[in-house]
Amino acid sequence: MHVESASFAVSWANEPSTGTRALRQEQQLNRFLADVERRALRIAEISVRDRDDALDLVQDAMIKLCRSYGERPSDEWTPLFYRILQNGVRDWHRRQAVRNRIMVWFGRGRSDEDDYDVVAGAPDPIGRSPDEELTNNEAMDSLERAVADLPARQREAFMLRTFEGLDVAGTALAMGCSEGSVKTHYSRAIHTLRKKLEEHGPDGAGDEDDEEI
Amino acid sequence: MMKKSDNEFARQTKVLFDESVDGLDAATLSTLNQARQRALATTRHTSVLRWVPAAGVAAATLVAVMVILPGPTEVEVMPTSMTDMEILLGEDSIEMLEDLEFYSWIDMADESDGVT
Repeated sequence: MHVESASFAVSWANEPSTGTRALRQEQQLNRFLADVERRALRIAEISVRDRDDALDLVQDAMIKLCRSYGERPSDEWTPLFYRILQNGVRDWHRRQAVRNRIMVWFGRGRSDEDDYDVVAGAPDPIGRSPDEELTNNEAMDSLERAVADLPARQREAFMLRTFEGLDVAGTALAMGCSEGSVKTHYSRAIHTLRKKLEEHGPDGAGDEDDEEI
Repeated sequence: MMKKSDNEFARQTKVLFDESVDGLDAATLSTLNQARQRALATTRHTSVLRWVPAAGVAAATLVAVMVILPGPTEVEVMPTSMTDMEILLGEDSIEMLEDLEFYSWIDMADESDGVT
């Protein structure tokens, strides 16, 4: 009894103050967001095909994570952040669909890609030769278009698993579905993308030497 | 079941994706940094706001206590009934207190005589 009291007293004394805890949490959040923000931006950009809108979506996701989930364990932040971001992307697509329907009424219907400038959206060079940069940019652009054309759930599963590197459980949490659904969406996405990109895709990935692992 | 070439395809797309992430321009990176700082500022704002309801309740309670409870007032002297006063002031009662041993002896004598 005395031992328990003593250990409680020691743990209470070692407990950081509210201010210290808040500062530490803010530093952890800063590190997490700095690590994830660029990939999140590209993922959002591939989904909505517009960098400015993607920046807005990423900022909204950051704010919502900090405001609502900052006190959750840090290992939950990645799936929670992407869940918020994917919800934002879905809302964006819904708004676009409504906007397009309204514009069609006025005879000014447009597709999502009408004003998407591929050159402006392309990344700056990072020490690659112009030929290499051009080839990679073309390959990435083909990949982006193919990924953007995927059904929403397949696109989410593919990008979260491949680009963000989430495992099946984390992807399921981010997508709000079962792990089985993630596997199905991901598998279908991979096969659709391979079929579309076998000529233009990265190194022309083919079907030869397919080997189940 | 994933095939080896599916994994290789995923790996290659990941390489392309990472290159596009590394190639983000300075203006975009700056905008991202500003967005992150704004998000972190809401954390600070939220942690301050968290104490607002508690502080508000405490202040309201303090005000209520000050308004509802009156300050120190003179103690009212309640009228005491005459019977109580007579008992208190009657000389017999005081004499009885002075002869407690006598009344105690009477009580013991009654018990020994079987008087209840």
